[in-house]
Amino acid sequence: MINQKIVVLLACSWALAISSVTGHGSTALAQQKPPATSSRTTPDFAALSDAAEKARQEGRNDDAIRLYRQGLSVQPDWKQGLWFLGMLLYEKEQYAEVRDLMRRFVAVEPLAGPGWALLGLSEFQTREYPRSLEHLQHVRAIGLGKQQEMSEALFYHVSVLLTRFEQYDAAMTLLMGLRKSGSSPDLLVEPIGLSALRYPLLPSEIPPARKEMFRLAGEAALADEAQKRDEAEKLFSAMAAEFPNEPGVHFLFGVFLLDVRPDDGIREIQRELVIVPYNLTAKLRLADEYLKEEKFDDALRLASEVVQLDPQNPSGFMVLGEALVAKNDLDRGIAALETSRKLRPETVRTHWDLLRAYTSAGRAKDAKREKEEIEQILHPVASQ
Amino acid sequence: MFAAISLFVLLSLPHPAFPDTPQKSFEAIAREADAARQADHLIDALKLYSEAVHLHPTWADGWWWLGSILYEQDRFSEAQASFKRFIALSPKPAPAYAFLALCEYETHDYALALHHFELWSNAGSPGKGALLDVASFHWALLLTRAGRFNEALFLLTTKSKQRGATPVLTEALGLASLRMAFLPEDYPPERRESVWLAGMAAVYNAQSEFRLSDAYAERLLSHYGQEPNVHYFRGILLRFQGNEDSAAEEFRKELQISPRHDPALTEWAASRLEAGYDSEALSLAKRALEIDPQSARAHYILGRALLETGSFHESAQELEIAKRLAPESSRVRFALSTAYKRLGRKQDSEREQAAFLALKDKDNVLAPLGDKFKAPQATEHPQ
Repeated sequence: MINQKIVVLLACSWALAISSVTGHGSTALAQQKPPATSSRTTPDFAALSDAAEKARQEGRNDDAIRLYRQGLSVQPDWKQGLWFLGMLLYEKEQYAEVRDLMRRFVAVEPLAGPGWALLGLSEFQTREYPRSLEHLQHVRAIGLGKQQEMSEALFYHVSVLLTRFEQYDAAMTLLMGLRKSGSSPDLLVEPIGLSALRYPLLPSEIPPARKEMFRLAGEAALADEAQKRDEAEKLFSAMAAEFPNEPGVHFLFGVFLLDVRPDDGIREIQRELVIVPYNLTAKLRLADEYLKEEKFDDALRLASEVVQLDPQNPSGFMVLGEALVAKNDLDRGIAALETSRKLRPETVRTHWDLLRAYTSAGRAKDAKREKEEIEQILHPVASQ
Repeated sequence: MFAAISLFVLLSLPHPAFPDTPQKSFEAIAREADAARQADHLIDALKLYSEAVHLHPTWADGWWWLGSILYEQDRFSEAQASFKRFIALSPKPAPAYAFLALCEYETHDYALALHHFELWSNAGSPGKGALLDVASFHWALLLTRAGRFNEALFLLTTKSKQRGATPVLTEALGLASLRMAFLPEDYPPERRESVWLAGMAAVYNAQSEFRLSDAYAERLLSHYGQEPNVHYFRGILLRFQGNEDSAAEEFRKELQISPRHDPALTEWAASRLEAGYDSEALSLAKRALEIDPQSARAHYILGRALLETGSFHESAQELEIAKRLAPESSRVRFALSTAYKRLGRKQDSEREQAAFLALKDKDNVLAPLGDKFKAPQATEHPQ
């Protein structure tokens, strides 16, 4: 569905995309002169360029494709040719060729967001997912110019790829953002279900027998986001009843319940840990809840298990440090928090924890430094 | 992460000295090309290098930089042509073989890419850092595609020990572990979950995090236990943990699903041998060889089983076949040395012992995975 939409967008507005990056309209590009070294071919090229443009405008796509190809064989860096041939071939689902054309295009127009977008979308279709994500993320950095209509397709593909690369939280943020911007729930429900249940799959990779599980998870998460708590609970409950032994199900339901009825939430997460004893995310979430309830020994036990299983887990060390500090074991608590800070320096919560711990330990200078670092993270420009 | 190598890496690689050039115009263009490249004006540099190598087609440096810039721009078929020219002109083209193979991977010339990775590996100076990382990863992908799963697994597990679990590495390990002769770009999408679960189990296994490895392996079994290679893979993991009886049970289950699964028969035989059931091992290894008479691993296991049951002459015969099929395997040489010793062939035994010592620390990718996982230490008896 989203791919059909891209085709329509391409057909409507790629000319705008060119002008947005080059400062010239497509006519100007059509008149672009070949380099001096190939001046002997200029007349042929100009004729080809005009004929290709005419064929495209008249909807004679096969002729246009042939003519653009001929033009590009004369002038390989012909921007308009690269663009429009890419567009026409994308419509024909010849993604590998579009990818190669767009690689050439972005080499000569490195700031052309739509070019990078078409490149990343083609790579998505050829299943070169790491490159696709890299290039689509690049578009987010440099912008789409006048092609804002493409932003839904862009964000959708980035979010499903982020899920596939196990960046679930970042994916969920984008997906919920898409919903707020008006994207159809039908489009988002499976990607949200995958991200919420933390499965690194694309929607097209969902095992058929568990499609319903991801649908229920996605619909429940959307209902929760819309503050429809009763509806969300019904859906989560149905998911847990229908798929009681699947990893992630009780954790997701439990996290929802922690905000509604914390005791029920804890029970669900404990169920998760019976099914998947080494679900570290569930252990940490439970430890965090125990900290809130001042059950410090339970929190300490779970956090210790996490860092033992995964010695590179910054959240594990953060919760461990918080539990130790809460038990007045300042030295070990500070050491754990410092490990967490080293593993992931950008987490503000760790710096706040350290600020309080240093203050309690009478280490005013260290506390001051933490305060400065918090300022630096929260207001990077102002603190420079 | 593995998708590209930065220009910085390309530019930092050594290249041959600037040749004497008779034409002034060529020299001027070459200087301008170098200046453009150094100023990061890559589009200009590309045009100038193209012009320069057109004027002076034997200018190796020009082909190198042309290939490097095209590679950086993901223009692989054009880069491929440039690296080929560089290799033809350069006396020591080792890193260029890797770049050529990487380009060929991208243009789907897989057989050529595999060949050039092998030339790269044998050329003696494979480079380091990002090149080594990216090239060995892609080589492993191609070995998987070619059905050379154990060699792929050796490269990938080495990498996962160094880097931990990254999504691309996990996927590659999953494919090789499930003996799926595909690239990450072309395997059936419905197999994605099983590939991920197998990859995670393999990554944690390589890191000796057996509880986490087992958790993923059990998830794999619960949904995909009826698919080929899943029980075999579980058996391999259990063998790695030293749980020979459970491993044997998994190999037996695999053979119920895939009756002609000779690697399962071979590993089952190895597992029985390890547990001291020599005649059972003997029979299983023979069954494996009926299916694949060219399996070095099965000949090796059979040779060892015969050694254990006192059939020294037959053992030596089997181990000689294993040696012919896998000349780089230190374990085969050690077993053969022992067989010759039992036969009283002192000179032959000493020769094989020397070969064993020469090979035992060599990181070759030709030995079976079991050998790699359990490579003998210098101070340890290899059996």
